[in-house]
Amino acid sequence: MLDYMIYILAFAVGSILGLVYSYKQHGEPFVAVTEFNMVMAVVSIFGWCLAFCSGNVILSAIGFLLGGFVMGERPGYGRKETAVGLIFAIGLFVLLKLTV
Amino acid sequence: MNLMADILIQVIIAFLAGSLLLGLHRKVMARVQKRPGPPIVQHLIHSLKFFFKETAIPKTVSKVFYIGIVFILALIWIVGVIVGPVAHDSLLILFGVYAVYKIVEHNSGSSSGSPYGKLSCVRAVLSAATELPLFAAIVFVYLITGTMNIGEIITYQSAHGPLVFTIPLAALMFFMLIITKSPYSPFAITKDKVLISGFETEHFGFLRGFMNFSEAIAWYVMLWVFLTIFFGPLNAVGYLIGMIVITFITGFINAATPLLSPNHSVMTQITIGAICFFGTILMIFTGVVA
Repeated sequence: MLDYMIYILAFAVGSILGLVYSYKQHGEPFVAVTEFNMVMAVVSIFGWCLAFCSGNVILSAIGFLLGGFVMGERPGYGRKETAVGLIFAIGLFVLLKLTV
Repeated sequence: MNLMADILIQVIIAFLAGSLLLGLHRKVMARVQKRPGPPIVQHLIHSLKFFFKETAIPKTVSKVFYIGIVFILALIWIVGVIVGPVAHDSLLILFGVYAVYKIVEHNSGSSSGSPYGKLSCVRAVLSAATELPLFAAIVFVYLITGTMNIGEIITYQSAHGPLVFTIPLAALMFFMLIITKSPYSPFAITKDKVLISGFETEHFGFLRGFMNFSEAIAWYVMLWVFLTIFFGPLNAVGYLIGMIVITFITGFINAATPLLSPNHSVMTQITIGAICFFGTILMIFTGVVA
């Protein structure tokens, strides 16, 4: 169970960091953001792929931290990027399961 | 692994997972009501924040009781984690944990000296109506599996399939308990907004932090027990998906349903419980349940 605790802790810390970072970047009142943030999307894809597919506790924890960072952004930000990251990671996970 | 280390790890997981799930619950409710809602991590941040806030103790409180009850609240849900996820022990102990939780809810309100807390304390007695369907659900699980031990119930399900297919109405009774315990539930009469925060109204600072800590663990434990005794042996991913799905469902229900008045709440719970109880008995006697 120790590995699950590390994952969830990494995700929570990543979410809090993402929230703090996001509020520093965007201080304005709530806006439903429509544009796609490519940098955050890359971070999200990289993070979730590491989390689901690395097979290593430390790498997965780093993945959850990065995934949580994007997912934890303030409301209105990071939703599409998280969705893209999760789709990529789940797709890769299924692909690896099928091929191995 | 060392038992103490296992308990500590499971309690941390329960707190973090429970907090994130409660955050998700608020998010789902907000989206249903077309609001942006707080970030998912908000409940966790709130809980942590309270531990560093100034703790004020009102003059009207019964001091020892007022402080002690918060630690008892945290302790009983830690016992819930030990009995459930750690030891896979008896369901009866978990029923006891829930019964004591109701008493703690009651006494937390009465010790505060606040009229809001006291009214919430009276309502906590009424809301104990949920314990009847819970007890009935546990009895049916015992009748089918022949055991109260969670580990043995898991073994039974791995051989005969999940109990939710055998006694779906008993699962529905347990699910009603989960709806009752979920935030902003139609049955949450002890935390009605006319009572401010109900039995929690007069608890500030780290005392409130402990209450939030207990709430998060309670949510995790109840979802864990429901999934374990009705959905058979599950792995970590199964639990994660199950907990997220249940949190989504309760979020939808609570966002779309107004809070019931105390008498309507109790009558609705008892009516649903009675229908499910007699329905399950009928299923057993007509041979639908093997």
